[in-house]
This record gives sequence, C-alpha cells and structure tokens, in this order.
Amino acid sequence: MKTNAKLFLLLTAFYLVDAIAYALYGYYANGKVEIIGTAAIGMLVFLAGFIYFYINKTANHTGVLPEDRLDANIEDGDAEIGFFSPWSWWPLALGFFASIVFASLAVGWWLTFVSVPLALVAVIGLVFEYSRGQHAH
Amino acid sequence: MLPKRQLKWAGVAAAASTLLLTGCSQQELNGYMPVPSGEPVTNHTSSIVGLWVTSWIVLLAVGIISWGLMAWALIVYRRRKGETGLPAQLRYNMPIETLFTVVPFIITVGFFAFTAKTMTAIEQPNHADRIVQVIGKQWSWDFNYTNENTYDSGVQYQDGANAKTEATLPTLYLEKDVPVEIDLTSRDVIHSFWVVDFLYKKDMFPGRVNRIYFTPTRSGTYMGKCAELCGEFHSAMLFNLKVVDKAAYEAHIAALKAAGNVGQLGYDLNRMSTLPGKNAINN
Amino acid sequence: MATATATASASSVIAKRKTKGRILVDWLTTTDHKKIGYLYLITSFSYFIVGGIMALIIRAQLALPGLSVVATHEQYNQLFTMHGTIMLLMFATPLFAAFANILMPVQIGAPDVAFPRLNAIAYWFYFFGSFAAVSGYFTPQGAAGFGWFAYQPLANTTYTPGIGGDLWVFGLALSGFGTIMGGVNFITTILTMRAPGMTMFRLPIFTWNTLVTSILIIMCFPPLAAALFAMGADRRFGAHLFDPANGGPMLWQHLFWFFGHPEVYILALPFFGIISEILPVFSRKPIFGYKTLVYATIAIAALSMTVWAHHMYVTGDVLLPFFALTTMLIAVPTGVKVFNWIGTLWRGSITFETPMLFSLGFLTTFIFGGLTGVILASPALDYSLSDSYFVVAHFHYVIFGTVVFAMFAGIFFWYPKMTGKMLNEKLGKIQFWLLFIGFHTTFLLQHWLGVMGMPRRYYSYLASDGFGNLNMISTIGSMILALSMIPFFWNVYITAKKGQKVTVNDPWGYGRSLEWATASPFPRHNFTSIPRVRSESPAFDLNHPEFAAPEAKAESKKG
Repeated sequence: MKTNAKLFLLLTAFYLVDAIAYALYGYYANGKVEIIGTAAIGMLVFLAGFIYFYINKTANHTGVLPEDRLDANIEDGDAEIGFFSPWSWWPLALGFFASIVFASLAVGWWLTFVSVPLALVAVIGLVFEYSRGQHAH
Repeated sequence: MLPKRQLKWAGVAAAASTLLLTGCSQQELNGYMPVPSGEPVTNHTSSIVGLWVTSWIVLLAVGIISWGLMAWALIVYRRRKGETGLPAQLRYNMPIETLFTVVPFIITVGFFAFTAKTMTAIEQPNHADRIVQVIGKQWSWDFNYTNENTYDSGVQYQDGANAKTEATLPTLYLEKDVPVEIDLTSRDVIHSFWVVDFLYKKDMFPGRVNRIYFTPTRSGTYMGKCAELCGEFHSAMLFNLKVVDKAAYEAHIAALKAAGNVGQLGYDLNRMSTLPGKNAINN
Repeated sequence: MATATATASASSVIAKRKTKGRILVDWLTTTDHKKIGYLYLITSFSYFIVGGIMALIIRAQLALPGLSVVATHEQYNQLFTMHGTIMLLMFATPLFAAFANILMPVQIGAPDVAFPRLNAIAYWFYFFGSFAAVSGYFTPQGAAGFGWFAYQPLANTTYTPGIGGDLWVFGLALSGFGTIMGGVNFITTILTMRAPGMTMFRLPIFTWNTLVTSILIIMCFPPLAAALFAMGADRRFGAHLFDPANGGPMLWQHLFWFFGHPEVYILALPFFGIISEILPVFSRKPIFGYKTLVYATIAIAALSMTVWAHHMYVTGDVLLPFFALTTMLIAVPTGVKVFNWIGTLWRGSITFETPMLFSLGFLTTFIFGGLTGVILASPALDYSLSDSYFVVAHFHYVIFGTVVFAMFAGIFFWYPKMTGKMLNEKLGKIQFWLLFIGFHTTFLLQHWLGVMGMPRRYYSYLASDGFGNLNMISTIGSMILALSMIPFFWNVYITAKKGQKVTVNDPWGYGRSLEWATASPFPRHNFTSIPRVRSESPAFDLNHPEFAAPEAKAESKKG
C-alpha cells in the first residue's frame, strides 16, 4: 500500500512543479498565463493528491498486508476475499437504458422523458440487487 | 591523443562517409525535403533543412544501433537445434541501464537546444513594412495587399466544366528579397496556410490573427495548400504563391487595381456575423 | 409441494443442458472478468475489421490522382473521421480493456476484479455507446465528418449540421464513461486484491502497465467527457462555449489534446506490457531491467499529460519551447524501454514461435515510429510536416506497430489460456509475414509523401503533384495487409473445429507469471491453488526450480 501511496505522491509533486513552471513560463513568455493548460494540470495535482491522501490513510490504517510482505505465503491471506456477483442482468439493462438517455440528448427531449426513468430503474435495481429478494437482510 | 589504431579507424570511417555522400544526389543531401535548386526559397529554409538533415543522421544512427543490436541478438543468441538448459537469468545491469538512460537524455537536450534556436529565429517578428493579409474561407483564399490597398480573391479548384486548373488558382504575389509579414485569419472555420517549398505552415483561426515573418529570396511559383480540415472541399482549397521581381510585382498590383479590386475585403464578410462578438478579432 | 421443490433443486445440481438460449443469457449476464474480456476482444476486433474496411476504401480512393471511388467529398470526410474514431476509441482502447480483463486478475492471483458488475457495466457502456456513435451512418446526412479530433467551429452545427455529429458526441461520451469505470476497477483490483507475497515490485510488467494505463485513463478521460458535453451543448442546446469570438477553437484544441495525447499512451502502454511478457518467455530469461522498466513507464505516464500541445504547434498560440522540451524528454524513458527489451533478448536462448515473431515485428516497427516522433517533436521541423502524410505515417507506425502487432502476439500467446487450444503455428507465420510486408509497404512510403507535400485528409490530389506512384504502392500494400487477415480467420476456424486440446498449465514451456500456473483454459475462479510468490516469475520458479530467482531458491532451500 505504501508503495502505491508513494506513486501518487510522486505524481502529485510532479504535476505541481509542472503547473507552476507552465504558469510562470506562459507569464514571462507571453505576458499572460495560459489558463487552459494551467487549469488542466492544476486539476491533476488535486486528483493525484486526493488519491494519495486516501491511499496513505488506508495504508497507515491497515499496516503491512500479506501482499506487501516479501516472505508471505499464500495461506497467510484471508480465506474469504469477498462477495463476487456470479451473474447479473442489471449491467446490460443499465448499459442499454443509459445509451438511450445519451442518444436522447442527440435525438430529442421526448426520448429523455422515456429513457431517464428506465435508466433510474436500472441504477436502483443494480444498487439494491444484493439487498433484496433472496439476499434481503 | 587517441592510439594509432583508433585514429586509423576514424580515418576510414570519415573517408567512407565522404565517399558515400559524394554518391548522394542533391535531393538526398537535403534529406528529400522539397528544396528547389538555386537560392534558398526563404531566409528560413536553409536552417530548417540543416536541422532536418542533422536530426535524421543522429536518429538513423540511433536506429541502426537499435536494429543492429536486435539483429545481432536474434542471430547470435538463437536457440540451436538440440540445445537444452537455460541461459543465465540476468535481471539487471545498472551501468548499462544508466548508460542508455543518460546518453539519450543528452542527445535529447542537445536536439532541443538546436530546435529552440531555429524556431525562435523563425517566429521572430521582422517589423516588415510590407504586410499582406490572407483570409481563409470555405474553400479558397482572399489576399489583401494592405500597402497598395488592393485585393485578390479566389474560388476552390474544380474539375470538369468549370475547371479551375492549377494555372487559374488564386495567386499571391510577393516581391523577391523584400521582408514581408503575412497576417492570417479566417472567415469561418480553421484553415491553414501551407506553402510546401517554404517548409512552413500556420493555422488561420476565426476570431484571431496569426502572423508569419519571412523574406522570400528565390523567384518562382510555389504550390500552396490548405492544411487543416475545413469541410467538404478542403482538398480543393489550393493556391499559388509567386515570388517575382519589383517590376512584375508592380505590374500585377496595377492589373488588380485596373480590374476594379480597389480597397480591402474586410471582416464584415466573415460568416457567423449574427452571433455575439460577431466581428471581434482578438489579437 | 415440498417434493417438487426438492426434485427441482436436485436437478439444478446436475448441469443444465447448454441450449443456445442459455449460452446467450450466460454471456449477456456475465460478471466473470474473463468472459467480459472475451466480449471486449470480440467486439473490438469486429470494429478493427470495420475500421480496416474503411481504410481500404480510403486507400482505393487515393490510389491515383483524380479518382472518384468514393462518390462525394463529404462521404470521404466521414470515412476518415469514422476510421479514426473507430480505430482509436472502439478498437484499440477497448482492446486494452480486453487484455487487462482477461489477464490482470490472474496475474496477481485474484479470483476476479474488485467490482465485477461495474466491469460488465463498463463493457455495455462501450458496446452501446460505440454503436450510438457509429449509428450516424444510418441517418440521411451520414456519420460525423469533421475529423476524429472534431475541431471547432467546423464541428458545430453551423458548418456540420446533421444528427450524425450529435450521435458521435454523445455516443463517445457514454463509451468514455465506460472506459473510466474500467480504469477505476483495474486500479482498485491491483491495489487491493493481490495474492500474499505479490508485492508491487513482483507484479508482472503487463500488470504494472495496466495500472499505469488505468491511472492515465482516470486523468485524461474526464476532460474528454467534459469537452464532449460542452460540444454537445453547443450543438444541441445553443451554448457558445466554443464560439470563435470567445477563443473557442483554441479552448477545444487544448481540451481535446489534453485527452488526446495521453490517449495514445493508453493505447501504447498495455501493449508494451504484452511484449514485456512475451519476450522473456521466448528468450528464456527474465525481463531485463525490471525496475527501470517500471520507472520508465511511470515517467512516460507522468510526462504524457504535459505534452499535449505538440499537436498544436502550428496554431501559433502555444508555448513552443515548453512543449518541445517535454515531448523530446518523453523519448528518453521510451528509449529505456526499447533497450530493456533488447537487453532481454541479449544472451538469451531465442526461438521464433508466432508470438515472438509478432513481438519482434512490433519492436522493429516501433523503433522507426519513435524516431519519426522525435523529428515531429521539433516545432521547426513540424511546421513543414504537420497535417501531412508524414504524421499519418508516424502514428500508424507507432499505433499499428504497437497495438496490432502486440494484439496478435498476445492472442497467439494466451490462446491456450483462453480456449484450451493452441493456434496453428504455420498459419500464424504466414499471417505475420503478410502483415509485416503489407504494413510496411503501405506506410513507409507515406513518410516521403508527407515530406513532398501531400496533406492529410485530402480527397484527392493533382496529377502534377507527383504523388501518384507512391500512393499506388501504398494502396497495393493495404491490400496485402488486408489479405493477412485471411490466414488468421482460417486459423481461428480450424482451431475451433479440430484443434488439439492443451492439457498442461504451461504449453509454451517457459511461462513466467501466475497465469501459467493454472489450468488451460482458465478455471471459473482462476485458480484451484496458487504457488508461492517470491519473484516476478512465480510460475517459472515453480516449473524450473534450478533456474528460479534467488529469493525463491533461498526459500526452497530453507524447506
């Protein structure tokens, strides 16, 4: 985990330097900061920094995991990794209805009124799939 | 001083390359860049061609080393028939890895230095008195000769009944050895002003003026093309550029004026003129 | 009633008969990363064929000056626009998702990806989004015809009305969201689901490249989505975001290329990873310079977000020296990778099976594409070459050379893992040579065409231009390239019909990463047992203990 945090820290630092260099260079070369590129690289600083912050926090919280130990054996890991959905209709439904929603932005508002509720049904169905029916708790 | 043996090899290499180069045609010596014979076409072309040729020599050397090493490895280290076992499982070699990181870095920085020099010289304003405004439109060119208050205009190249052949394309006239500034803009979508033999192009944006600075130094007729997709007849947006002496230039200007092209084709002809900020041209 | 349900549950334990309907439902509802990977592979390969046919039509149109193979200029514009869009966003990017899905979880010893249903959603977004974008062809005014980079204001409704452009925008936006979801999924999987002992610096290079590519995706696809929505707002809802009076054209170019340049590294890096898997196996030694390869890949990704305006040198409004420097710098880590690959071959024991042939074809081609890239990195030289066939030749060398050659290398290499059968070697070699010769015949001469002054996206050219001979040879090359697909399809067909089933985990004999330590084809949840991981080559350490990595040997000596 720590290695991953370092990776994103590296990216954050690099883009910070780059954003400042780009802004200053634009200012001294052309008299004005090139705002589009500066903003774009600046956003990268926030993206990488945010991910670094979260992974770092998680790394501190979990300590050294079996996958990060050089001498770990397979049996050192958790026997139960998690729940993996065996199959589901909802991804297909969501994909299809979302495509109608996006196409309706191209085709016309009438289609939006039809497709958005259907897509909402698909989203809700997807989210609650393993909390209802057989899986209700 | 290098030992005698190495000097001898250096001498052989130098002799071999000289021999090889004398076998090269003028075309090859320019690295196949379009360089017409005679004087350089503009005051920038020789530096561009020089940079091109030098870059290719260095890059091809890098390429030959890479392909050569690859070929060597494939031939010498191929698994022979009946061979068993495995080679040494070498995972890294820091000196070599450092070498092939540092050497390309140095080559790259060197290449950047030469490039920076050339491109700064090309983009340097020349404070020319002669200014020609070239305005692109779908799908041809308007030339405003600002100093002489005359203009020329064109339509796209067409085949068939209304054939506009190469000879009748819109032609921009420039005077030989006179520094000129060309102001580029567009009436509608992005176009690009490309004269192949000038080894230069620049985009023409609606709402903005781009400027190019050079001195044409060779008489001749040069082909010009639009180099940015601008719609259906992008490939028909061709023009000629003629570099002529003073007399021919003034004759052409006089002919334009005689044909009634007095004044300038201004921005009021731009399209999308009903939109907010309609004729705003940002400098 | 109780007996009926008891009987019902008893019969469900016995395998249901696999009717065609059941197989279809299985594929439509799958959340298994491998099946999703196969879906991506089949869909993207189909788009490859569609885009390839478009390319053949383009080449036919350009074979001689003044031809009218394509009826109108507008149709031609639509052809190259959709060819570019399809190849880049519907073939090559989803192909990364295909290989990453099929392989990455197995290579890290995980049973699936972190979010299986999200994985499926990403695929269906790609499937339906791409279909929407291409469906412009079913409308009267045709598909989008403003170039795959959709420069404003050509791409707004004043100059390109027609619903084809709108469908293009929103279809790509949806597909892009699918890609982002895939990226998030892969990063999470690699960060959290590695097997014990599989530290970051023991990951196979393909997995490292998948991680870095996914980071690139989450950095550059959101700006694309934003730009596409802005363009959609301009086209459909009367916005003036890209109005020329507001500096709109430049804004679009910055936003698009901020996405567009990292996109080409997204296309390149996973396939570099595939090559890094194949070269060691057929050289019978580990990948040379593992750590520097990883650092070079990270450097390439970091730098690639800072070079975008090298696509805009001729606009006259970018900081030329800044972008020239960063673009040239990116050549350094790329060169490091190339030399590391050559180092893998060096002092190896090399055999030339089909995956190796394709990998070597990639290496040869990519080196040249990289060299022309350094030329284009220089604004002084780019002024004459931008928007000419030199650029077309360059990017086909790097993209086709990387994506297509590495794709076939990967397909041949991992076919036993995916299907349990090996593809025919002889047909593979015939395909390779036809592809190699066809590709170079098509694209090598285009460098000369560009230098001579042939612009790209031109419907035709004048006889007096003197481009005719080179174009004719290029067109013939494209036909040879097309022919090379025939042995491939024949190979797939006869392997399916009467290919011999593979019984061993490692049919190539010298596989290194974890997928070669499990059955061929993959079991449903990837492993019945995972070997101990002590190096980046755990399967190799298991199968060739005398030549295992030092940490693995030390461990087995201890007992």
